[in-house]
Amino acid sequence: MFNIVSSFSRKIANEVVDKALERLTRDQYTENIFEMVPVAKKVGIINLMENVMRAEKGIPPGRPLGSHMRFSPWDKLLFNPVHLHRFPTPENVNISSSVTIGKNAKKPLTISTPIMIAAMSYGGALSKKTKIALAKAASKIGTATNTGETGLMEEEREAASLLIGQYNRGGWLNTPDKYKRLDAIEIQLGQGAQGSTPQRTAAKNIGEEYREVLGVSEEEDALIHSRLPAVDTKEQFIELVRKLKDETGVPVGLKFAATHHLEKEIQIALEASVDFITIDGAEGGTHAAAPILEDDVGLPTLFALSRAAKFLAKKGATNDVSLIATGGLVTPGEYLKALALGADAIYIGTIAVMALVGDQMTKVLPFEAPTSLAVYNAKATEQLDVDRGANNLFNYLNAATQEMSLVCYSLGKTSLSDVSASDLCSLDPFLSRALGIDLGYVAPEEQEQFFEGFTDLPLHEMAQINENQSPEQQIH
Amino acid sequence: MSDQLQNTLSYLSSELNRIQTIAGTLSSIETQHHKDLTNMGDDKLNQIAIEEQSASRQLGEIKEICLALSQKVDEMQNEIQ
Repeated sequence: MFNIVSSFSRKIANEVVDKALERLTRDQYTENIFEMVPVAKKVGIINLMENVMRAEKGIPPGRPLGSHMRFSPWDKLLFNPVHLHRFPTPENVNISSSVTIGKNAKKPLTISTPIMIAAMSYGGALSKKTKIALAKAASKIGTATNTGETGLMEEEREAASLLIGQYNRGGWLNTPDKYKRLDAIEIQLGQGAQGSTPQRTAAKNIGEEYREVLGVSEEEDALIHSRLPAVDTKEQFIELVRKLKDETGVPVGLKFAATHHLEKEIQIALEASVDFITIDGAEGGTHAAAPILEDDVGLPTLFALSRAAKFLAKKGATNDVSLIATGGLVTPGEYLKALALGADAIYIGTIAVMALVGDQMTKVLPFEAPTSLAVYNAKATEQLDVDRGANNLFNYLNAATQEMSLVCYSLGKTSLSDVSASDLCSLDPFLSRALGIDLGYVAPEEQEQFFEGFTDLPLHEMAQINENQSPEQQIH
Repeated sequence: MSDQLQNTLSYLSSELNRIQTIAGTLSSIETQHHKDLTNMGDDKLNQIAIEEQSASRQLGEIKEICLALSQKVDEMQNEIQ
């Protein structure tokens, strides 16, 4: 029976393909469906479809999960194992993974792995079930989860043993009765995927429970302003930080979108004596944002992190202020590279949600996106199994931490926090210079000599050298 | 009063060191359990092993917290002296 069906299907497929090829070769190019291929290549398939969406609706398309562009060249960095000049760590030694955020706060926040769950708000982004599952997984592994820009959801507070809350531009968590119940406060001034752009959720998209968490009326839209309410000067920001520190005793930090002005922003944060700084790179994810904000705004996570770490070191603040990196980090290798470049901890968002829905994707595929299990008001949010999702994410966090520990053995380190920039080399000369990491092509003692030749070359000659090299050798 | 405070701080310091040692020992035991269970090659045991590994990590976290607290207590003792 199978053979008959198979043979029949092959015949049909053969006929269809033959007819299609016939049309593709005979039709004039202007009338040929193949025209889509050069057009898609010229403008890009994503741009093509997003332009069609713009033309259809007349409003910016809300693209989920952040930019598709990979601005941070993490793959151009590699770790350097040791063998004899320094010995690897013996296998019976435990690799310490715990991190303390806000060491100088009255109540510092200690987590058992440097990976935390990023700010993804209830309602503004995720469903209640998803937020609870994220909190359960974080508690089980011993790390913190983040409220995102929303109010305080009781169920999330109960499920999370360590909850970082965002003092936000919507104002929904900004009262003492709410922020005093947090384990750390992150003052949110912007995010990687959207900069400091204002956002609005229409009243019709706000359900009853979400409305209660926000504390808004039935007809009221949820507005995220571009500025924090009542913070219009740097003095007001400094005053706010001091007030929150005095009132709560928990670590108080600043989160902002990575920007070329980051040193100036951090300088003000240091004047305010923040306990931590969270930098969200341009690759940061989101529930939905206009493509221009995701693709054309901000600074890549890798460069922002490196610059921030260098600035804190220059100011002698490395030990006093914890640095948290986030935005587009998706593999344990990238997490560890971020730690090596100076981050004390990292947030993961998109990949945490993907790990959470993990084996439950089959409930919606192939007709709906996997995120429809997790996003607020999506078609399949009720189908998410919270405990199964929490277990999936717990397993993921455990595996990712273990993978980072494996590299530590090879580097001869006993703690994830001991991994530093000197454990890395770069495969890109410009990256090597920008990050202050040795170029892997050249012996350590010949680095300066190698780069001396580069500095004498005018820019157009550099470009010519680049063009004459094979793709693998090109300087990007 | 100062003597009483000194004694309390000494007591805290000594107990924190004890908790730290216990957490460290338990962490090593959990790590060994993780290895033993993983070697069995059974899916259910593997899941338990993962939880043992996480427990080991969290005991390591307790050890770190105790160390930090112990340091703070020592600083207070020094200030009083």
